[in-house]
Amino acid sequence: MKIKSTIQEIREKSYAYMFILPMVMGMLIIHFIPMLIGIIMSFLDLNQYTLSKYLSAPFVGFRNYFDVLFNPKSTIRIGLLQAVRNTIIYTIGVTGGTLTIGMIVALMLNKNFIGRRLVRTLFLFPWIVPTYVTGLLWAFIWNHEIGVVNYILTKVLNIVEKPPFWLMGPNTLWAIIVPTVWRYWPFAMLMLLAGLQTIPDELYESASIDGANEWQKFWHITIPSLKPVWSTLLLVNLITNVYSFNIVIMMFGHGAGFPGEWGDLLMTNIFRNSFQLWQYSKGAAASIVLMICMIGIVAIWYKLFREKW
Amino acid sequence: MRKISQNFLFYFLLITILVGTLFPIYWMIINSFKDNTEILTGKSLFWPSRWRIENYRDMWRNINFGLYLRNSFIVCGLTMLIAMVLSTLAAYSLSRFKFPGKRIINDSILATQMVPGIMFLIPIYLMFVRFHSLTNIQLIGTFPGLIFVYSTFFVPFSVWILQGFFAAIPYEIEEAALIDGCSRLQIFLKIVLPLAAPGITATGIYIFLTAWDELMFAWVLTQADTITIPVGIRLFVGNYQNRYDLMMAASTVATLPVIILFFAMQKHIIRGLTAGAVKG
Repeated sequence: MKIKSTIQEIREKSYAYMFILPMVMGMLIIHFIPMLIGIIMSFLDLNQYTLSKYLSAPFVGFRNYFDVLFNPKSTIRIGLLQAVRNTIIYTIGVTGGTLTIGMIVALMLNKNFIGRRLVRTLFLFPWIVPTYVTGLLWAFIWNHEIGVVNYILTKVLNIVEKPPFWLMGPNTLWAIIVPTVWRYWPFAMLMLLAGLQTIPDELYESASIDGANEWQKFWHITIPSLKPVWSTLLLVNLITNVYSFNIVIMMFGHGAGFPGEWGDLLMTNIFRNSFQLWQYSKGAAASIVLMICMIGIVAIWYKLFREKW
Repeated sequence: MRKISQNFLFYFLLITILVGTLFPIYWMIINSFKDNTEILTGKSLFWPSRWRIENYRDMWRNINFGLYLRNSFIVCGLTMLIAMVLSTLAAYSLSRFKFPGKRIINDSILATQMVPGIMFLIPIYLMFVRFHSLTNIQLIGTFPGLIFVYSTFFVPFSVWILQGFFAAIPYEIEEAALIDGCSRLQIFLKIVLPLAAPGITATGIYIFLTAWDELMFAWVLTQADTITIPVGIRLFVGNYQNRYDLMMAASTVATLPVIILFFAMQKHIIRGLTAGAVKG
């Protein structure tokens, strides 16, 4: 009997490994080996001249990391601090906007009214628009001379006299935050709405009997009940926005331009340094530093939202 | 009275957000039918004076859009199929069996999501160059290379969604089948797969949509006859800087296939994505 169960256990395990093997192989080749190469690269001096030597390029130790972190004279530092600042503002702005609008609309759609399903479907539209189209479209919308935003501001509403430049100067931050919120809030709304529908009505009913007002019900029932949903959305948003690339790159010079010192994000900065200025090693070092920061953020998130359950 | 004013406020807010949400899409479509001089001079802003269907013909003639569209369908379709197979197998294994190494695999699935894509890009490019010099098989600028990268790239997230679906299938069903003498493989194919089909469909479409949206890897890993839509559009707008009419027409054509796919499968996708999320 014992032998039989051991055999069965081995067979079970062999199935488990057989099923998971293809994915593990793929991840090894596409995720882990490249990551290892990336880490090695960050210790070499790999640029357009040494690229053909591949991993036998000259070893420089921590110099790339030093250049990224502490050497203000290094070429990779040009615009890096602005990119860090922009990425932080952008991430907070987009995450806040996405979750707020998503929550407001989810609460509205959770009520019964005629045409609710149709409205929900219409709200999902931006989420299907490809991000590169989003960037292209909004660059057109923000355009200084022929953009519809400036037309509405100057001709329809008459609030401003001189049309502002949206894709230059500090305004650029708005110009990249708004399209990203526009693209991503429907997803947050969808998740929050699904969460809202799982909260039992009895909770609200008994709160009403106890004399709670709408705001108290929202704050003490809805928010805590939806914690699994909004905390997950928070994490997903943090990661996607810090690593955001498509929308911003397509908004400036149609995918070839410099987003300016108020629009440049870390990903566009590193991409430009790696592929247009051929500083492959410094780019790798910068992305590893960024990744370590990200791991820190995710660890904090875990401490805050997952350990207590 | 209070009820009426509350209702008014509700609908006012709803309609405002609805207009704000749909206006950019309306703007894209409406401008794709305008005459370019009309766009540049700001005449007949919200409705074209004449609907120029010729824009679409001109756009098609100016760039090889048919080729890009075909390439995107090939790449995204095959990516979807391969990634679905890989992630279904893996997610089933992770949600049903206990085995040494399971925790590490689970953790590394999450870890892959924290790495910026750009970190993989150069090493993968270098690996492909190396592979070419060793085996004479070219992966850069060919379909197999891009599909291989895509199909593994989207697997971790898909596994994450799918695990929830497999976990929701009661294990008793499988146990009963085991006692009846079914083999593990039979159980998987005949019982588990049909039960998880809605979730697998949702994940598959999600993979397709994500692959359709991918720009960075396609930028580096495609060449002339394998260029996909995002790269094609980027090249196109680089060459026709001020042809906003054609730009918007190209954007509309790039959006249309995924819009159709999404709304045809809307029920599956919404059910699939929300089922995983609510559990947290």
